[in-house]
Amino acid sequence: MSTVWLVSVLLAQAPAIPARPEELRFDPFHFEVPDAARYRYELPNRVTVYVVPDSTFPLVSLRIQLRQGSYLDPVDKVGLAGLAGSLLRSGGTESLDPSAFDEEVEFLAARISTFGGDSRSGANLDCITPVLDQAMDLFFEMLRRPRFDEARIAIEKENLLEAMRQRNDEPGDILGREWDWLLEGEDFYRSRRMTKAHLDAISRDDLASFHEKFWRRENMVVSVSGDVDPAAILKVLESHLTDWPGEGAATEWPPPQPAHVPRPGAYHVEKDIPQGTVVLGHRVPRWTDWENPERAALQIMDHILGGSGFTSRITQRIRSDEGLAYDASSSLSFDSLGPGSFTVSFQSKNATVALATKIALEEIARIRSEPPSEEEMATAKASLIETFPRRFESAGQIAGTYAGDAFIGRSHDYWKRWRDQVRAVAPDDVLDVARKYLKPEAIVFLVVGKWEEIAPGDADGRARVSELFPGGVTHLPLRDPLTLKALP
Amino acid sequence: MGRVTLALALSVAIAHAARSSEVAKVPVQTFELSNGMKFLAVVRPELSTVSAGWVARVGSANERPGITGMSHFFEHMMFKGSRTLGTRNIERDLQIVEEQEKLQEEIRAIYREQRERYRLGEIEDPFADEAKPERLLELEKKFDTLVEEQRALMVKDEFDRIYTAAGASGMNAFTSEDVTVYFVTVPANKIELWFWMESDRLLSPVFREFYAERDVVHEERRLRTESTPTGEFEEVFAAMFWQSHPYHWPVVGWPSDLRSYSLAQAREYFETYYAPGNLTAALVGNFDLEEARALAEKYFGRLPARAPAPDVVTLEMDARAEKRMVAECDCQPQVEVRYHSVPFRHRDSYALEVLAGLLNGRSGRLYKSLVLERGLAADAAASQDSRKYAGAFSLQAEAKGSASPEDLERALLDEVRRIVDEPIPERELQKVKNQITASAYQRLAGGFFLLVQLLLYDGLGDFQYLNEWAETTLAVEAADVKRAAERYLDPEERVVGLYYREGGER
Repeated sequence: MSTVWLVSVLLAQAPAIPARPEELRFDPFHFEVPDAARYRYELPNRVTVYVVPDSTFPLVSLRIQLRQGSYLDPVDKVGLAGLAGSLLRSGGTESLDPSAFDEEVEFLAARISTFGGDSRSGANLDCITPVLDQAMDLFFEMLRRPRFDEARIAIEKENLLEAMRQRNDEPGDILGREWDWLLEGEDFYRSRRMTKAHLDAISRDDLASFHEKFWRRENMVVSVSGDVDPAAILKVLESHLTDWPGEGAATEWPPPQPAHVPRPGAYHVEKDIPQGTVVLGHRVPRWTDWENPERAALQIMDHILGGSGFTSRITQRIRSDEGLAYDASSSLSFDSLGPGSFTVSFQSKNATVALATKIALEEIARIRSEPPSEEEMATAKASLIETFPRRFESAGQIAGTYAGDAFIGRSHDYWKRWRDQVRAVAPDDVLDVARKYLKPEAIVFLVVGKWEEIAPGDADGRARVSELFPGGVTHLPLRDPLTLKALP
Repeated sequence: MGRVTLALALSVAIAHAARSSEVAKVPVQTFELSNGMKFLAVVRPELSTVSAGWVARVGSANERPGITGMSHFFEHMMFKGSRTLGTRNIERDLQIVEEQEKLQEEIRAIYREQRERYRLGEIEDPFADEAKPERLLELEKKFDTLVEEQRALMVKDEFDRIYTAAGASGMNAFTSEDVTVYFVTVPANKIELWFWMESDRLLSPVFREFYAERDVVHEERRLRTESTPTGEFEEVFAAMFWQSHPYHWPVVGWPSDLRSYSLAQAREYFETYYAPGNLTAALVGNFDLEEARALAEKYFGRLPARAPAPDVVTLEMDARAEKRMVAECDCQPQVEVRYHSVPFRHRDSYALEVLAGLLNGRSGRLYKSLVLERGLAADAAASQDSRKYAGAFSLQAEAKGSASPEDLERALLDEVRRIVDEPIPERELQKVKNQITASAYQRLAGGFFLLVQLLLYDGLGDFQYLNEWAETTLAVEAADVKRAAERYLDPEERVVGLYYREGGER
């Protein structure tokens, strides 16, 4: 009874429930971008470190990023950088054989990993505070004095070979590989793939010398977040990094640009599956000017066109209106080291691949022909501005955001400007950038699926691939998973 | 020498960690409305957001033949709006829904005949385009006209747009065999929006685009099940593993059921399983507890209380025959050995978690034996799947080189036998417990992740599991693990899935 009484009192006091959610009024929520200078340090040996303390939980994360990766692979040893990274983790250290090392790490309940990208590689450590010192000892011994145990190299190579054998199993894997090649060519560092011949050619010496040459202090960015005292952790980091080689490896930076010129048109790879998986789009230029306000206009365009789920045009039309796909979206990605890309992706039953593609092309044409509505602008802007604080929600996110800036050489002020730049975008600015950056004549269309079902189009005759791409379709061969040579 | 000292130092450090802070726990405030709806709240003032959601204690296990996949389909329908959101003209919109339903009644009557023709062998597929009689095509055309009229009145995906424009992110939902969970993250000053939106869709949902959404779910099935290397076989394997229990059918449902649901069935489902007494909501983030309590009364207090939902009464039968599936697919040769074990919070589930811990990881037994020492596998893993009504323990391995799925099966069984027959070293058990201690903190750190755990665990039985699992698991002893392995991982009771590469050597 007392509960009922309480409820009626509350109801009597509370304002009535508004008829629509837009009528709700909220207290202002003020967010200021945390000052990066508070977290930024430089060790005497010139390594940049970001430390963001947070003692809510006894947890620490440490991340090291280096400007090296597969772009440094020799042409006959593609995959060397990646293999060096994974063997660094699994190959043991001078004082601990691989099994002993794993045993120690897992006994500490620490997580130690390495990552190897195209141009960004490094290592992560996550652990609880009481074991931080021991975990850091293991972490830095691994990074500085790896064993590259022969038996583990053999096992890792066998496992890579098994992974290669699966290259034609998932439609998405075939799509991703062929798409990279269509956009950037088969020889470019970001798109080339390891073959069995490359793998066989890589020796223990190659791994050890790659490590010696490229795992250096030079251009290193370290970020630490969690339950740490900045002064203390900086001292420990410095002592761990003293015996690392510093300057010296004259690596090319930024990495090279692709020589390949994409050929627009339609491409297909045969796979006997009920649903075609599709990507279409084109390259966009490398992005280095982080002050350019076009960036904000492009993010709004991306949001409206297909980057924000159900609220965006492509998802609404292909999924909600027509029920042609479960996932349908577009994405505009920029890269400071090489070309970025504009892509539309979806999966649809083979017969409606052409229809969904037609709709995507219509939406690309539409956003290039008329400015977005005021409502679309308001929604996109509010969403970008109000979700912005989430980038700085935790100590780990703050450390990651600022370390990322340092890695690509972007000023931290980028974030201070960012919300004002978004606010300043007008509908015509979106139209302008859409016309400048989206290029219908440059579109490459790629589908993996069953051609005899894709070609005729939908039962109602609303679209056929041959009408959308009058230049015809290039049927790409499936590749031998180990040699990547065309299969007959 | 160095190693021994190091190891000793480590166990001291971990023991110290566990002592000084006890085991990580999270203070959860709870309250319940008079209509039976339960609320869980964790206040985190350091965040700039509130992650909020609710769970309906319903999943595919609550279905029956004919409506399999309904729970998941329902999850899609909950984003279609309400009397307020999603249309410019609610009167006409509701009329259209009813007119559409009348046509669908006629369409369903024709499909009844189609199934009869199919049984008699007159047509190959009751749903094929080419098998459609003239009358069906006419009805479909009429139906499409109504769809167009409704669309002209609709405000497309308004539910999503309002959240997006308010700076919400991560709005989504998922359905499992046991629960359906809805969640979103909103800016810290906008929790009232969450109360408005979620109570609105529970108070007056309108299942618009009911029949068009079936196509989307079909595409989802094609994507997840039919176009993946092993998807269809995993479905076969689950159907073989669960003989009598409703876990027998897939969450997405059988395709023939998906094409046959009616709006009346959906409404009945909603009334039964989306009653406030069958729901738990949770909020994690930067908000005032008393304000949240008042808003809960104000908004969700409007939902009428209803009778409790029926329990799932069918129990799994004891196995009477050996079950083995042999599949050929575009996949790496692999094996899964699965045993019936125990459900969520069963007293033996903690020992089975520890068992999985002993087997997993780079220094775990499966990797050491199958990958490193015997060179049979590229990867191997164990897991205890504790569902609401029953559970399963599974061992999986992917072959390397010339190893066959049978070789892997034998090697996996060897490791189970070693657990049962040989002593488990103290240090090995301590390692697993250290990982539990660390994981207890890691699981609490992210606001959104914490929300999902609260909802999932309360949906399965009790959110308190979050605060009790670490302590209970740390109390597990070697003898408990051995006993659990012996009892549940009986080689005679195993169900085995063998996967061979299509066109490869056997």
